Amino acid sequence: MTTENAPASMYRTTEGLGVWEHKGKVAAVGIGHSPTTRRWDGTPENTMGANSIIALRRAIEDAGVSPDQIDGLVLDPVTTTGAHWPEGQPIPMDVVNAFNPTDDPLDGIAKLSAEWILKNMPELTNVKFTMYGLGCMSHAIVVAAQAVGEGRTHTCLVLKSWHNLEGRYNQSGISAADTVPGTFALSPGRTLWGAPGSYGTALQFAEYCRKYGKSHDMMAPFMANSRRNGLLFPEGYWAQHRPEQLTAEDYLNARWIAKPASLFDNDIPIMVSGAYLFTTAERAKDMKQKPVYILNHASSRGAQRSILPTLDEVEAETASTGRKIYEGAGITADDLSFENMYDGFSLFHQFHLEGLRYRGMQNGDALDFYQTDISIEGPNPVLPSGGNIGSGRSRFWMHTDCIQQIQGRAGARQITGVKPEIGVSGGPMPMGGNFTVWSASPG
Amino acid sequence: MVILISFDIDGTLEVGDPPGVLSMDLVRRTKAAGILIGSCSDRPISGQRIIWEQHNITVDFAVSKQQLPDVKAKFKADVYYHIGDREDLDRQYALAAGFEFLWPDEALAEPWLHLDGDSS
Repeated sequence: MTTENAPASMYRTTEGLGVWEHKGKVAAVGIGHSPTTRRWDGTPENTMGANSIIALRRAIEDAGVSPDQIDGLVLDPVTTTGAHWPEGQPIPMDVVNAFNPTDDPLDGIAKLSAEWILKNMPELTNVKFTMYGLGCMSHAIVVAAQAVGEGRTHTCLVLKSWHNLEGRYNQSGISAADTVPGTFALSPGRTLWGAPGSYGTALQFAEYCRKYGKSHDMMAPFMANSRRNGLLFPEGYWAQHRPEQLTAEDYLNARWIAKPASLFDNDIPIMVSGAYLFTTAERAKDMKQKPVYILNHASSRGAQRSILPTLDEVEAETASTGRKIYEGAGITADDLSFENMYDGFSLFHQFHLEGLRYRGMQNGDALDFYQTDISIEGPNPVLPSGGNIGSGRSRFWMHTDCIQQIQGRAGARQITGVKPEIGVSGGPMPMGGNFTVWSASPG
Repeated sequence: MVILISFDIDGTLEVGDPPGVLSMDLVRRTKAAGILIGSCSDRPISGQRIIWEQHNITVDFAVSKQQLPDVKAKFKADVYYHIGDREDLDRQYALAAGFEFLWPDEALAEPWLHLDGDSS
């Protein structure tokens, strides 16, 4: 079975499409995560592939279905956090052969194909639909939701995995080459030749502060709140390995990476896999967990004039994204119980938030909003998942949290100041990402 | 002779991630010798303090990487050392702040114990 990238027709990228035709007909039921680690330890048990299997099996078990009921698999085959297998470094064949390998020995270690998963999960006997959603879980989710809606699959696993290898990230692969193409070299975060990854966001944030009279210090309550929420997320890296808060003092004394982006405005790369089980609303009724209905998915494909988006471009794009999200779901900003937009980098979360017009926010309002009660106990929860700041770079804590909040399974992180009925999550970038609206009822 | 030693944590101390070669007992011996000690790390300052508290070591300072000049301004000493495992984030910062620099494996020999003069 050949696995293709999702076609452009599966994404809802423009305004004016009306309510999503599959609104409320697709549901998330099961959730599974692997343990987190900082880096691969070189053992088969700690490979990204092994983590993927753990996450998938946990999602299946959580949903209470038998593996032979699964007929679909959507995943992102790119698993790097920025760590690439060094050219010329021997591949440990004992690790490769601890699994059922594909033709590519790095499959399951530094990349992941649907073929590798199916070879190593023999219990998945009825998978007839596989597709790639490139980029992150936000991407894979909208592909899976659309696929279930269109009837390409009725019980579909959605997977995102990350590998992180020894050494500093983004300093191998093309970064280690003698020459790199000009645009690639100049783009933030791509290579040693360019600026740090947070550079573009930092410039936008600096312009934001100038335009609206705000300061980097005003981010501190948001950062502390996010880490606090993350430490209540037992699946996350910080909760599992270094349960330390991020106080205002910590944040304000961090060194600059790309001023005004400091060390803690950048997330920590980790190894982790996350999986969900999506199905039709009809089938979900008979499964083990409460269905969380998908009201809409929307995608942003913003075009920028130059290498870095300007603040004006970012604000226009996030506002458009907000309108698409609401239009397709048939809701308004007032219907949102909570938000879980992306935060890696932390300095762009407010762009997503303002684009949503969350709690009536307009451009320039978010940092003042951060000075109010944004906790999980309050009426205006901001990023209850804690996001990447709270649990490390997975780009899926926000989705897991939306599902868990609405299912009432968020544990100590459960929001209490507002009834969790409708949540929104997605990302990554303000200029380009994929977003999902989750609901306790089909609408 | 007043000596001040700043310890990086990750890759330097045994409690770091990754663990380094310097034991907490070495830190305790250093402290017992009357040397001013503390940490200078990318870890949150509150997290650094927790590590020291967990190991019952009272430190004179806990700061972020770029704050070595503040340490030097606050504490008057005859010799300032920073020990760390990174060229860019330890050695360069240390030298720029006017500290002597030691790699963790060099620090294992505890050269500060053999400096001339009173260590307190």
